[in-house]
Amino acid sequence: MTAPTPGVAIEAGHEATQAIGAQNGRQAPRSRPGRSLLPALIIVGAFLYYVLPLIATASFALSDGRHFTLAPLTDALGDPAFHDSITLSAGIAVLTTIVSILIVAPTSYLIVLRFRRIRTLMDFVTILPFVIPPIILTLGLRQVYGADSPLGVDLVDSPLLLVAGYFVLSLPFTYRAVDNAMRAIDVVLLTEASESLGAGGLRTFRSVILPGTLLGIISAALLCFTTVMGEFTLASLLGYATFPVFLNNVYASAPREATSLVIVSFMITWAGVLALAVVGRRAGGGTTALRRAA
Amino acid sequence: MARLELHGITKRFGDQVAVQDFDLTVGDGELVSFLGPSGCGKTTTLRITAGFEFPDSGSIVVNGRDITALPANQRGMGMVFQGYALFPNMSAADNIEYGLKVRKQPTQKRRQRVAEMLELFGLSHVAKSYPSQLSGGQQQRTAFARAVAVEPSVLLLDEPLSAVDAKVREELRTEIRRMQLRLGITAILVTHDQAEALSISDRVVVMSQGRIEEVGTPSQIYAEPRSEFTASFIGAMNEFRVRIASRSGGLVERDGVQFEATGAADLPDGSDGLLLVRPESLEPVEAGAAPVGPVIRGRVEVQTFLGSQTRLLVREGSDLDTSVHGSRLVAVDVPSAAAGRWPPGAEIAIAIPIRAARVIAVRASDLRSTAAVVTGPQGR
Repeated sequence: MTAPTPGVAIEAGHEATQAIGAQNGRQAPRSRPGRSLLPALIIVGAFLYYVLPLIATASFALSDGRHFTLAPLTDALGDPAFHDSITLSAGIAVLTTIVSILIVAPTSYLIVLRFRRIRTLMDFVTILPFVIPPIILTLGLRQVYGADSPLGVDLVDSPLLLVAGYFVLSLPFTYRAVDNAMRAIDVVLLTEASESLGAGGLRTFRSVILPGTLLGIISAALLCFTTVMGEFTLASLLGYATFPVFLNNVYASAPREATSLVIVSFMITWAGVLALAVVGRRAGGGTTALRRAA
Repeated sequence: MARLELHGITKRFGDQVAVQDFDLTVGDGELVSFLGPSGCGKTTTLRITAGFEFPDSGSIVVNGRDITALPANQRGMGMVFQGYALFPNMSAADNIEYGLKVRKQPTQKRRQRVAEMLELFGLSHVAKSYPSQLSGGQQQRTAFARAVAVEPSVLLLDEPLSAVDAKVREELRTEIRRMQLRLGITAILVTHDQAEALSISDRVVVMSQGRIEEVGTPSQIYAEPRSEFTASFIGAMNEFRVRIASRSGGLVERDGVQFEATGAADLPDGSDGLLLVRPESLEPVEAGAAPVGPVIRGRVEVQTFLGSQTRLLVREGSDLDTSVHGSRLVAVDVPSAAAGRWPPGAEIAIAIPIRAARVIAVRASDLRSTAAVVTGPQGR
């Protein structure tokens, strides 16, 4: 009874050790590369997915069919219609961004502060542009602001009509970005603190709420700007030669030129993103950098 | 520095009455605490005073001036919020300076005042730090400094210590009191922490269900509560049902024994009363001694160590008494050094000292099936 027991124990122990060893041996080599390979594959795949079309576009655009040439690009850039369209687009984009922020930021603040009850309604209203096709929006804009306007204003010939339309179109992005930032800080408490120190509403908004939500507001501005720069349907239907409309027109007659402009527009967007990111870091980074330092 | 008067403040939220007929005058330089369980209306009253809520009826008067209709930013009061509400984008110094900037004080004067505040609150070394870099205590002091920098007429403190750890809390509450006395500022402190209210207030307003239960100095509130709510909310209290035996003689009767009790003269003969005795006022009867007044006999159930004192929870009645309603828990504090004499299970006799017993009227709603109830938190 006593004799075999240690033997059994040793054997069992030995087996167990072997089993563990085998398991380790099996797991270690398989799991490590397995784990690091998949993300790498995903990254490479995503990179190719994004970059290959760009390379293809660039190689198509900057060529005369056989050789590399910058001619399509320089031709396109020299086209006065290009200048007009890009100026119009940028102007409308800047104006829309300014108008959007000026309307959306205080609205979002007041909803959080005073009109919590309509918050759900606002959430619903601001995503409507996702659901309503631009063609409906165009018809609506024409009805309200066109020649037969019940308001008595004919804005169809003014780019202001586009600003109004784009304000609505970019609302899902702008409102959400700003509203998220408002939710991230305790707007009500900070407002009360500011009021208890004697500040009025404007002062509170400018000195406390705006700096606290700046990053959200910057990203809202960025989203609004890029949305407007790339919008085609509304401008085309309303008959404005914005940059995307111009691109579409050129594409029919000179596809290489149009394609080279696509590359340019990519670069403009990237530059915009970069600029806003830098501004954002500088503005919101004062505190962040200090916090990091400590 | 100011005298604050609240007259008949009533506030409803929908069907809920948050505050009802709140009347209080806070004297110049006085610190008054609003104490009560959550939902008793203390915070609403403070917010009405601050101007964040407006009363349905009643008025708020500061130094003789009716400010009921004024918005918060024109009341000239200072407030320390529960979560401090420091501006995250401003350094400690900028937070303190904010109110001065709003008041358009000249730069030189502002800087001087900020430096003074930083110095006073021991924050000079963290002046340039942002709220997220400050410790809880430093944030609390910054919030306090920010509120008093503008020399407010009244300082409102909304549970200012609830976000600090227990250890720092005691230290900070003494500091709040010290600063309040030093600045001579009129202040209201809202708290659900009775120790906080009792330790640093000139007067305590005990609130329940939107009404003032009782106003008094901390020692009055603790030693001579006038309502059962106050008695049970503040500290640990033994409550015994008694009958007023003789109003003129100041006698009450319990279990057939008649004895003197303070307050019996205020109640009609034959009416029910509640006899209130703090655990520390009860005394175990030494063997062979013959105490004057009533004696409670029972067995020790639990000992709770409280430091210098140990609290014994004694179940009254004999082992034969199996009725649930008949069993009564009585708390009695004994010196910890002597607590070994009454281990759990030991028999004990407890005397109710005549002078320590006070009797108050029983409200119809307060009638309970058990004759004696130990209420309130274990420690004080």
